[in-house]
Amino acid sequence: MSTDYQPWVKDDQREITRLCVQVGVMMLQHSAESALVESVARRLGLALGMDSVEIALMANGITVTTIRDGRCHTTVRRNIDRGINMHVVTEVQRIMLLTEEKKLEMAEVARRLDEIKPLRYPRWLVSVMVGLSCAAFARLGLLAHGAQADLGTFVITFVASAVAMQVRQWLAHLHFNPLLNFATAAFVATSIAAQGVIHHWVDNPRVAMSACVLLFVPGFPLINAVSDMVKGYINTGISRGVMALLLLLACCCGIVFAMTVWNAWTWL
Amino acid sequence: MNTFLQLLQDFGLAAVPAVGFAMIFNVPKPALKYCAIAGAIGHALRFSLYKIGPLPIEWATLIAASVISLIGIYWAQKWRAHPKVFTVAAMIPMIPGVYAFTALLALVEMERNGFTPELLKTAFDNGLKAVFIVTALAIGLALPGMLFYRRRPVV
Repeated sequence: MSTDYQPWVKDDQREITRLCVQVGVMMLQHSAESALVESVARRLGLALGMDSVEIALMANGITVTTIRDGRCHTTVRRNIDRGINMHVVTEVQRIMLLTEEKKLEMAEVARRLDEIKPLRYPRWLVSVMVGLSCAAFARLGLLAHGAQADLGTFVITFVASAVAMQVRQWLAHLHFNPLLNFATAAFVATSIAAQGVIHHWVDNPRVAMSACVLLFVPGFPLINAVSDMVKGYINTGISRGVMALLLLLACCCGIVFAMTVWNAWTWL
Repeated sequence: MNTFLQLLQDFGLAAVPAVGFAMIFNVPKPALKYCAIAGAIGHALRFSLYKIGPLPIEWATLIAASVISLIGIYWAQKWRAHPKVFTVAAMIPMIPGVYAFTALLALVEMERNGFTPELLKTAFDNGLKAVFIVTALAIGLALPGMLFYRRRPVV
């Protein structure tokens, strides 16, 4: 056996592996579905000249192995959830597409990846839009029951959900646990809606109480969970589904607590 | 109310949550209008299929979701982004939030005040509806990819 020094990876393979894993982690952190994470990381590696790129996704980690000329390089990264951000997912995917078209070199890819700044809409604007969304949900609920338009329900739902969204964003900004955050914000939303019920400002208490907490339904994780499992990523699918269910349960605790405090039992 | 007016109202109302939730998901600004259009079309299509038409809500959801997914693929190729950027926000108005919450609240209620068959019925009826509708949404979104893009990426 030769005792000469032999590097186990050639020149830039280590850097390319790091780029692949960086891309994978960025997409996983911002809630892209597993199939997309895997395909983008693999295509980037292949575009940069690897023979093959193998990726294993776990609930909170990612493993990437690149192979070139029979030499492997493997690296693992931990995944910390950064919240849903489609802007980052789009930008990362465009960098991958440009690399595939041979318009970007390795150094340029690394520079552009580091330059991505996650887009955040202003918090007040999100709160107002979410308030309007929940008010629209209330109107849709009334429409489904064939009831008349009711201004009180609309206004109470808007106020309750806008304030709750503001609380949710504020708590998320302070890095509270998401479960705690959702329970607290659901308590706030239900408490405000309960005032409308207690003082008879709303004609349809059930609709107002149910519509104002709809901003807490984790729609993205739920859809991602099912589509991960449909596409064969049972592992990540289950962990996302369980997280979504826990968030819903945390909200329920907040709602029940608020209904107990104000003694306004309009659900069920 | 006139059915056509109802449909129009449904179309307009569904666009609002689609945009509101697209902003929670931080969808890039130029894509917001696509989310609004897709959300409105999807919800109005489902409304017409199960309220006016004869279909059960799960099948109506499946059809609406796959139509939106097809539109999403067209936009995705034009816009060089994954279709989910547009389509998931468009699914939000169809998410069975009230069913899910009612089911879970019935469970919590059973824990507080003891078991009753009515509460169990509420929990099961609503919970099953929620699970089936979410599954229909996710499968509907994946369907065009599974049918037409079997071994190649959409973008």
